[in-house]
Amino acid sequence: MAVRRNMKVTLPRLRGVLTPLIAVTVVLALFPIIGVPRLWLLYLFLFFTYLAMANMWNLLAGYSGLVSLCPAAFVGLAGYTLAIGTWVGLPWYLGIIAGGIVAAAFAALISFPVFRMKGIYFAIGTLVLPEVLRFVFTIWAPVGEPVYGGGAGYTVKGVAEVSGAQVYWLALAIGVASIFLMRYILRSKLGSGLAAIRDNDSTAASCGINVFNLKLFSFVIAAFVTGIAGAIYYLYQGYIEPMSAFSVRWLVIIMLATVIGGEGTEEGPVVGTIVVVFLYFLLARYAEISLIIQGVILVGIMLLAPQGIMGSIRRTRIYRSLSQLATRR
Amino acid sequence: MNVLADLATPVVMGILLGGLYAVIALGLSLVFGVVKEINIAHGDLVILGSYFGYVAMTVLGIDPILSLIIGMPLLFGIGFAIQKYLLNRAFRISMDATLIIAFGISLILQNTYQLIWTPMARGLTTSYSLESFSAGPIHIPLVYLLDFLVAIVVMLVLREFLKRTYLGKAIRAAAQDRKTAHLMGINTDRVYAFTFAIAMALAAIAGVFLGLTFSFTPISGMSFLIIALGIVVLGGMGNILGTFVGGIAFGLAQTLGGYFLGVTAQMLVAYIMVLVVLAVTPRGIFGR
Repeated sequence: MAVRRNMKVTLPRLRGVLTPLIAVTVVLALFPIIGVPRLWLLYLFLFFTYLAMANMWNLLAGYSGLVSLCPAAFVGLAGYTLAIGTWVGLPWYLGIIAGGIVAAAFAALISFPVFRMKGIYFAIGTLVLPEVLRFVFTIWAPVGEPVYGGGAGYTVKGVAEVSGAQVYWLALAIGVASIFLMRYILRSKLGSGLAAIRDNDSTAASCGINVFNLKLFSFVIAAFVTGIAGAIYYLYQGYIEPMSAFSVRWLVIIMLATVIGGEGTEEGPVVGTIVVVFLYFLLARYAEISLIIQGVILVGIMLLAPQGIMGSIRRTRIYRSLSQLATRR
Repeated sequence: MNVLADLATPVVMGILLGGLYAVIALGLSLVFGVVKEINIAHGDLVILGSYFGYVAMTVLGIDPILSLIIGMPLLFGIGFAIQKYLLNRAFRISMDATLIIAFGISLILQNTYQLIWTPMARGLTTSYSLESFSAGPIHIPLVYLLDFLVAIVVMLVLREFLKRTYLGKAIRAAAQDRKTAHLMGINTDRVYAFTFAIAMALAAIAGVFLGLTFSFTPISGMSFLIIALGIVVLGGMGNILGTFVGGIAFGLAQTLGGYFLGVTAQMLVAYIMVLVVLAVTPRGIFGR
C-alpha cells in the first residue's frame, strides 16, 4: 500500500517537470540559430557533455554503490573509436555511436573481473583501467601515422564538415537524454533494485534481486552514455592523444560536479555541473593552482556538506514539509 | 645456458626491486588493514618523501638517507594531522567520503609539487646511486641491494613494533575489531591517527629509496600507487609477509616484462597483473 501511494505522488511530479524541461530544451536548441555569442555556446557545450558524464557517475556512485574511478576509460575509448573510425572511413555520426558501443562493450567485458570485487576493491580495480588503456594507446598505434603527442595521437578526420551548431546540438541531446534516462531508470524496477543493492546487497540478493545483472546493467548504461558524451567532446576538440584522453582530469570534473551538487540526488549533477563549468572559466586565469583549488573544494564539501548543495537543500525542504504536515494535524 | 645467464640479472633485480615496492606498499597496507580505508593519496605522499630527500640533498647538502632523520618525523606529523583532522571525520560520513577526500589530497599534492619543483623529472643522484657490482654474470646496481636490505630491516622493525609495544598492540586490536577495542578503553581515533602517521613515516623511507632508484615527476605517485594497491591486494591487507611476497612478485613482473617485451611495456605488465590479481584473488593469496 505504502509503495502504491508513493507511486501516485511521484508520477504527477514527473509530469510536472516534463513540460518546463522540454520548453527549456527547445529554447536552448534555438541558441545557435538566434546568434548567441560563441563563447556562451562553448560554456553550454561543456555543461551538457559534463552533465551527461556526471549523471552517469551519479547513477553508479550515488545509486548503485559502485564508486567507479574509470570514467576516463570510457571517454578515451569512445574518443579513440571516433577518431580511428574517421580514419577508416566511418562517418562521424556512426563513429559517435560506435564510441558508445565500444565503451559499453568494454564495461561489459571488464565487469566479470571487477564485479567480483566489492566496495573498495571495485574502486581499486577501476582506478587501474584508464592507466592500462593509456599505456596501450601509447604503445599501440592502430592506424596510420600518429600526429599529436608521443603515442597514438590522431586528428578526427572530416571535422571541418561538422558545424559548431551541430556539435552543440549533439551535446544538448546527450545532456538532456541523460536527465530523462536518470528519471526513467530511477522510477523503473532497475532503480528500486539498485537502491536495494546500495543499501544492503546480501539482503537484496536474498529478496530475489539479481545483484550481478542489475549492477552490470547500470555499469554498461553508464559506460555507453559516458562514451557518447566523450566522443562528442572529441568531435568538438578535433584531435585525441593518450595523455589527455585517459587523464585523471575527467574523473576530477565528473566527481567534482556530482559531489558539489549532491551525490545520490537527481538534481545534484545539474547544479554541480553548472558550478564546475563556472569554476572552469574562473580558474582558467589561475591554471597553475587550479588543481589545488579543486582538491580543496572536494575535501571541503565532503567534510562540511557531504550531501552537496541539493542534498542540503532537500534536507531543509523535507524538514519543512514534514513539520507542515505535523502542524496541520 | 646462455638464456639462463641472461635471465639471471632481471630475476635478481626483480627480487631486489621487490624490496622497494614492499616498502612503498607497507604504509598503504597498514592503513588499509587497520583503518580499512584506501588512501588514494599514498603514492603522492611517497613522492613527498622523495621531494624531501631532493630538497635535503640540493639545498641543505645532506645525504638523502641521512635526511630521513628529519624526513620521517616530518611526514609522521603530516600523516597524523591528515588522519586526525580530515580522514577520521570523513570515516564517520561514509566510505566514499574517505575515498573522495584522499583523492582531493592527492590533487592538492600533485599541484603543489608542480608549482614548487616544476613538472621536470628529478632524481636523487648521490655518489653511491650510480655504483653497481657484479657477481658472476649478474650486474646489479648497488641501490637495488640497498632497497632490499632496507625493506627487510623496515619489515622486521614494524613487526616487532606491532608485536611488543603498547601502541602496536592497540593498533592490532583496533584492526581486528574497532568497537571492542573502543570498549576496552582504546582511543581508536588516536590509534588511527598514529597508524596513518606511521604509514607516512614508512612513506618517507620509501620515497627516498624510490628517488635513489628511479627518477620521479609530480605525477609519478599514481603509478606507484597502482603497484602498491596490487601488492596489498595480492598480499592481503595488513599482512607484512604478504606485502613482501607481493612486492617481489611485482618487482619480478616488471623486470621480466621489461626483459621480454621491452622497457615501454614493463609498467603495462605490472598494471595488468594488478587487474589479474584483483579478478582472481579479490581477497589476496594470504587474505582471510
